[in-house]
Amino acid sequence: MQKVIRITALVAVIGLLAGLVIYNALNPPAPDTGVWNEAMTKGNAETAKHHFIMYTDIFCPYCDKFSNAVAANLEDFEKTYIEGKNILFEIRVTDVNYENGHSKNSRPAGIAAYCAAKQNNFWDYYYALLEKMFDDYFSKGVGVDPYSKHIPDLPDSYFLDIAKGVKLDQDSFKQCFENKETAKELDKNTAKAQKNIGGAVPHFSFDKFSYDGFAGNWDTTNDYKQVKTLMNAGLSTK
Amino acid sequence: MGIRKVAETVFDRTKLSLQGVCSVFSRPKYAIFGIFCIFLIAYILNFWRDGNGNWQLICSGLPLGDKLGVLGRVFTSMIEFFRSFSGLSIAFLALLQGIVITQLVFTWRYREKNATLNGASTGGIGAILGFIALGCPSCGVGLLAPLLSAIAGAGALAMAETIGKIFTLLAFALLIFTVFRLGYIDYVLASANSRKEKHAKSN
Repeated sequence: MQKVIRITALVAVIGLLAGLVIYNALNPPAPDTGVWNEAMTKGNAETAKHHFIMYTDIFCPYCDKFSNAVAANLEDFEKTYIEGKNILFEIRVTDVNYENGHSKNSRPAGIAAYCAAKQNNFWDYYYALLEKMFDDYFSKGVGVDPYSKHIPDLPDSYFLDIAKGVKLDQDSFKQCFENKETAKELDKNTAKAQKNIGGAVPHFSFDKFSYDGFAGNWDTTNDYKQVKTLMNAGLSTK
Repeated sequence: MGIRKVAETVFDRTKLSLQGVCSVFSRPKYAIFGIFCIFLIAYILNFWRDGNGNWQLICSGLPLGDKLGVLGRVFTSMIEFFRSFSGLSIAFLALLQGIVITQLVFTWRYREKNATLNGASTGGIGAILGFIALGCPSCGVGLLAPLLSAIAGAGALAMAETIGKIFTLLAFALLIFTVFRLGYIDYVLASANSRKEKHAKSN
């Protein structure tokens, strides 16, 4: 009798799990191909043959590793891929690491990024912020993985000071940042990202190809090679 | 039984278990097999540690040369990655799993007929837990993420890291327990076998 109960319980649990797996597999999130924020794109949205999307969080070290590799080879990247292959390159900034409890800095960084986008100068601010974060923390092994020393909670001045080195209307940027004017957009996009990709960033979606994570080593030597592999994988996947 | 007596028993048993592990690995055949298993498991764990990114590249339309490059990169990155703390935990997991597999083969080979492999299932559970609990430093979650999202939808992902850490600790505990349990069995089997060999020689 005990054996029958045990087997029935086991079958019920397995059946329930299998049912949930099938249900989730049959109800995948709909593809989200529309541009979220035009200022966060490169390339021609109207004529592009391919759409590359990167879901990111500014305080996700491996997302920044990808973006730093692109920034360091920007001319080649734009010539070979964005212009050469007619790609619409889009970055979807979220604060999933704030939502998941990984980093409090994700939120102000996200708000600042959308404030820069509001002035149509997202890219300069984004690359300046990543460069400073790399110099201050990642290059010293801080904040690079869950076991390393964490990046401290940064003051607002950290994000405002970066804006000073970028061509932005400083007063408007400060007002936008301090009043959290872009928080709603950030929240909306983070919620959409969580629905689309769960909590894992970076997530790359390139036409029919998708990819999670980025080269595991904290060594930048082969980063651009890895970026190219990723781009080529997307272009060659039909 | 007093605490001292229990401690003495545990100490003796641990000593014998370690002798059992040593007696398995002192045989060249098993030592080579063990090292091969450790490397193979380390490679597999490393392949999956960045989520399913490497698998996605293998399944992509990349030419064969590039796909082989991905496999090669996993190997070189493995050596580099093992310098970090999360890398070390994967290496330790691979080491324990390799030892358990070798012990299982040894125990299976030398066990008496009809004897059961006590502890083997514990090691199996530990190995599975260790594998699915793999941390993914580059994407924030691990193999647990796709499993959780498949079972409970994307909303459950926030729990992935915490559950992953619990699974890792459980995996280590179960694997260490299995190494000691099988180690003791191996000690008994190895001693019995050497006595049999001595007896056969003297006859």
